[in-house]
Amino acid sequence: MSKDLKLEEPLGRVIVVTSGKGGVGKTTTSAAVGAELARRGHKTVVIDFDVGLRNLDMIMGCERRVVFDFINVIQGDAKLKQALIRDRRLENLAVLPTSQTRDKDALTKDGVEKVLDELRKEFDYIICDSPAGIERGAQMAMHFADEAIVVTNPEVSSVRDSDRVLGLLNSITERASKSGAEPVKAQVLITRHDKSRIDSGEMMTVEDVLEVLAVPLLGIIPESPAVLRASNLGVPVVLDEPSAAGTAYEDAVGRLIGEQIEMRIAADRRPGLLQRLFGRTV
Amino acid sequence: MSVPHHDISPRGSAPAASVKPFQIRGRYFTAVALRPEDGPLDQAFYAALDAQLRWSPHFFDGAPLILDLAQAPGLSRPAEIRALADSLRSRDLAVFGVQNATPAQAAAAQDAGLILLASGKDAPLNTGPGTRREPPRKLRPPENVLINRPVRSGQTVVAEGGDLVVVGPVSSGAELIARGSIHVYGRLRGRAMAGAEGDESARIFCHSLDAELLAVAGLYRTSENLEPELLNRPVQVFLQDGRLCVEALG
Repeated sequence: MSKDLKLEEPLGRVIVVTSGKGGVGKTTTSAAVGAELARRGHKTVVIDFDVGLRNLDMIMGCERRVVFDFINVIQGDAKLKQALIRDRRLENLAVLPTSQTRDKDALTKDGVEKVLDELRKEFDYIICDSPAGIERGAQMAMHFADEAIVVTNPEVSSVRDSDRVLGLLNSITERASKSGAEPVKAQVLITRHDKSRIDSGEMMTVEDVLEVLAVPLLGIIPESPAVLRASNLGVPVVLDEPSAAGTAYEDAVGRLIGEQIEMRIAADRRPGLLQRLFGRTV
Repeated sequence: MSVPHHDISPRGSAPAASVKPFQIRGRYFTAVALRPEDGPLDQAFYAALDAQLRWSPHFFDGAPLILDLAQAPGLSRPAEIRALADSLRSRDLAVFGVQNATPAQAAAAQDAGLILLASGKDAPLNTGPGTRREPPRKLRPPENVLINRPVRSGQTVVAEGGDLVVVGPVSSGAELIARGSIHVYGRLRGRAMAGAEGDESARIFCHSLDAELLAVAGLYRTSENLEPELLNRPVQVFLQDGRLCVEALG
C-alpha cells in the first residue's frame, strides 16, 4: 500500500469475477473493483473474457479506443502493449478488451496463460471478467485464477449457479490440478441486494445465501439506480458521483486486499409509493 | 477346493432290496500345470525344473500334473513329448494330460499315454527364491471416503468400496453415492444414495435434512414424500421390512 511497494515486484494476483448465471453484475463488478483498486494505487488491469459480446470496454467508457484486442494478442497479431488501453481517469488502470467478431473457441489455454504471465510481470491485480455460463469462456477465465469473486443475486437460481461455479473452481482450475497448491480463494459478492424484496420474502436473505455457498462474504451491493446510470455513462460506479452501491464496492475492495471492514447494508432508494403514503421509514 | 458331489443314480425304479454295484460321482480337484517355454528341452530345462522341485518339495508330492503347451507350439515330435513325460515321471511327478495342444501335439501326447484336457483357469505359482507366496491378508484397509469441504451443485462423490463421510454441506443438485452408509455432518440438500450395490443394512445420516432424494439399496423417497416435520432436523434413513424409514435422531 505504500509507495515503496510499487517499486518492487508487482503482486501479479489473478482474480476472476464469475457467477454462472448471466445478468447478475459480473462486468459492473469487474469495472468497479478494477477502478477502486487502481484508485488505491495498485496497478490493475481488467480483461474481458466474454468473447463475442464485448461489454467491459463500454462500461469502462473506452469502447471507441479499441484497436487491437485480447484475441489478437493470443493469436500473435498484436503485442500486448498495443492492445492494452490505459484509462484516462486513473493512470494505474488498464483494460484489455475482447473481440466482438470471434467466438470463445479463439481462447486457448496456452494463449491465455502466456498473456496472463506477461501481465503478472507488470500489474498488481489482474481482474478477469468471466462470461456467463460454465462453458469454455468461463473455464478459461477461471483457469489460472488465484482468487475468485463469485457474484450472486439473492435468489435461488443465481445461488445454485454460483454453487456450481464454486465446485468448478475447486476442480478444474490450475490450482486444483496442482498438488500442494492452495485452492483458489473464493469469496461471494451479493449484488442487487434489495431489502424490501427480501423482507417480503421475494428474495433470499444474506444468511440463506451464505449457508448454501459456505464461502466468506466479500460484500453486499445494494440495488441502486446509480449502477445503471454509471454503466450508461461508461463510468465505473465507484468513480461516478457518490452512491450506496459505490460505497459498498469500495468496502468490498478494502476487504479483498485484506482490510477489516464491518459489513453494512446501505440503500439509497427513494421510499416507494406506499411507504411515502404511510410515512413509514425503512 | 470345494468338492461338489453330483450323484447320478440309475433312472427308473430299481427294486429297493438291490444293491448298486457302483456309484458315479463328479469330482473337482486341483492339478498342477507345467508350461514349458518354446525352446529345446535340454539340460538347462531339467536343471531349472530340478531347482524348482528343490524349492518347493512338498508342493508337488503326489499332485496330478498336466502339460500346458500354450507357449510351446514347437514341441510336437512324439519322441520329444514321450521323453518329457518319462522325465517328469522319473521325478515323481504324476503327469497325466496335456492342455492347449495343437492337433500334432495332441496326437503325440495320446501316443505317450497322456489325455487331452480342455483348458481351465489357472493361478500363477510364485515359489521361486524370495517370492514365496504371501498368506492372504485377512484385514483389508477400509475403502471409506472422507470429504472435508462442501459438495456443490453438479458434483458427484462416489464411495465405491465403503462408507462416505462428508464434513460440510451438500448442495441441491449434488449427488452422493456409496456402497455402504452415508454420513453428512452438515445440511443435506442434494441426493444421497446409500447401499448402491444392494446393501440393505446401509443407512444415511445427516445433521439437517433437506434432501432432494434419499435412497437405500434402490428404494428411494423424494423431497415430496418426506414428512415435513422431519425437515431441517438430524435424521437417519434405513430400510426396515422392505420400507424406507426416515427417523429423527436425538
